[in-house]
Amino acid sequence: MATQIPSTTFEEFEGQEVQQERLLEKKMLLSPAMRYVLRRIGLYLITLWGSITASFIFIRLIPGDPIRAMVAQMQLQGGYNTISTSQSMSDFYEKQFGLNGNLLQQYLHYMNRVLLHLDFGPSLLSYPNPAMDLVKRGLPWTMALVGTSLVISWILGVVVGALVGWARKSRWADTINNISLGLSHIPAYFVAVVLLFIFAYNFPIFPANSAYDASIKPGWSFAFLWSVIQHMALPVIATVLVFAASWLNGTRALVIQILGEDYLTFASAKGLKNRQILLGYVMKNAWLPQISALALSLGAIINGNVLVEQLFRYPGVGQLLVMSTQQKDVNTMMAIVTILIVMTLTANLIVDLLLPLFDPRISYSGK
Amino acid sequence: MKAFIGIWKMSMKFRIGFTMLAILILLGVFHRLLIRWLLGDIDPLEIGTGGGIFLDPSRDHLLGTDRYGRDMVGLLLSGLPITLEVAALAGVISTALGAIIGFVAGYNGGRLGDTILFTITDMFLVIPTLPLILILAAYAKGLGVIELSLVLSVFSWPFAARVIRSQVLSLRERPYVELSRMTNLSAWEIIWQDIFPNMLPYLGIGLAQASIGAAFALVGLTVLGLAPSGILDLGTLINNANQWGVLSLGKWWLFVAPMGILTLLFMGVALINQGLEDFYNPRLRGMS
Repeated sequence: MATQIPSTTFEEFEGQEVQQERLLEKKMLLSPAMRYVLRRIGLYLITLWGSITASFIFIRLIPGDPIRAMVAQMQLQGGYNTISTSQSMSDFYEKQFGLNGNLLQQYLHYMNRVLLHLDFGPSLLSYPNPAMDLVKRGLPWTMALVGTSLVISWILGVVVGALVGWARKSRWADTINNISLGLSHIPAYFVAVVLLFIFAYNFPIFPANSAYDASIKPGWSFAFLWSVIQHMALPVIATVLVFAASWLNGTRALVIQILGEDYLTFASAKGLKNRQILLGYVMKNAWLPQISALALSLGAIINGNVLVEQLFRYPGVGQLLVMSTQQKDVNTMMAIVTILIVMTLTANLIVDLLLPLFDPRISYSGK
Repeated sequence: MKAFIGIWKMSMKFRIGFTMLAILILLGVFHRLLIRWLLGDIDPLEIGTGGGIFLDPSRDHLLGTDRYGRDMVGLLLSGLPITLEVAALAGVISTALGAIIGFVAGYNGGRLGDTILFTITDMFLVIPTLPLILILAAYAKGLGVIELSLVLSVFSWPFAARVIRSQVLSLRERPYVELSRMTNLSAWEIIWQDIFPNMLPYLGIGLAQASIGAAFALVGLTVLGLAPSGILDLGTLINNANQWGVLSLGKWWLFVAPMGILTLLFMGVALINQGLEDFYNPRLRGMS
């Protein structure tokens, strides 16, 4: 996708590269498919490293010293205060939180801890519990919310979008298109507020906050699952409305482009029924490109989800992020940011690796 | 100007979007006058100036008052210009940044430079950046409008860079650019004389997308109550409404009024964007 545009200024260096590639191909050291996979995984590792390092630097640049604030708080409660004890306490906690040494030392220590032990250090929000534990508690809720909204909105958007594109001249298609154009340009949070007011306060059909009814014991019981679904309904519907609208617009545009292709004229000249053309030709060409767009949209949907979770007081990582930001809990912030980045980049990697298997138009050679 | 009239005549979307945005900008520019005219000579942010807390809409207070007894219309009018300023500033900064990166990557980056810059652009587009903005803005207390715009533009330049790079890639293959290249014009001359004038509409599209991105991020920040303390924008009003639980009090307009204005802003810019795209790139009609 990135570098397919032929360049006219063919520098020497590029010529060499092409020659080397040809040489490799000749020797059959690696099949083109294998090379594509390796290159994609290499790119994945580089972007992963780059984004984690960038966020590490961003977060460490935050002014203020949460450890000293904590120690001062503890001393206030403990009721004694000497300079040497306060210094040694600070040192102890700084070491515990991985905040001692200069930025490079901290970075190496951090990378080592995260890569080898999947450990982000203790959290400040509920010391001495590891930050990772807090994230693990919130992640299932967020993934359920984001995953459900993503799947439903994608299917709804692509199917309705294809139909709207197919019937683009009819009045109902036009109406749906205009509504979705409007919906796709407002934050999911706004829709959530409107839904909340109507369906939770005015007509109390759905609960207004938290993830399940506190009176039900969590477990794999029917009552608990039903309560979870009820609590998920409003946030999911809000996110689905906005994101389905943007899928709808994208798919509609794709379908209208496809409708002008020669093979469709040929298909109808062959005497295929409209339904066959729609399902076998139009849909098939429309849903594949939308799969790679699906992975790309993950970041946006997670962004929106932070706000939606906050509104519904949903115990996911979005709310955890806001809490840890208010408390200057550096380790928990890092853990959340890193895990969200790993999730989105991995989803993109998987889609990019699998897509050529489904879509014959994309070849493994990447050329 | 000629182009503007052309788009205005052709695109209904552009007409509607431009009108919406123009009204908002006028309201923002003349907010002091309007406040004085509607509420008299008061500071709309001062506590208790509305005569009572959580008043229902009436003739004196068209949208009622909030928990601190401030008139809601006054609050909206003083919050709007801040949202507009940050969105516009961040949009301009990130378009400039995106233009530089888009030009460098697309025109004389070579294959390697283009790949590196485009990978970075892509990375910023793919990863969820709101968490990072949240963290950054929450700690840099005492940020003014300009600093906040700078922070936001760090994260919204990729929207502009992507649009501009793809156009540069296509423009540099045009025959007239080829001709200039053959007559040994330098890269900067070609960029400035041949490519840049043709890029203006795309810079406009990039600006629209970047300022929407920045406005989304700003509202995200302030809605969560994590904005710098000195900034009261429309998102702050939404956060207040959320904090006070006004929905359970039945005072939905405290939520809906700021959201409605923001929706107008988002839609207005999005419609202008669509109109520009339809006009300059009919092939891309309706694609995002």
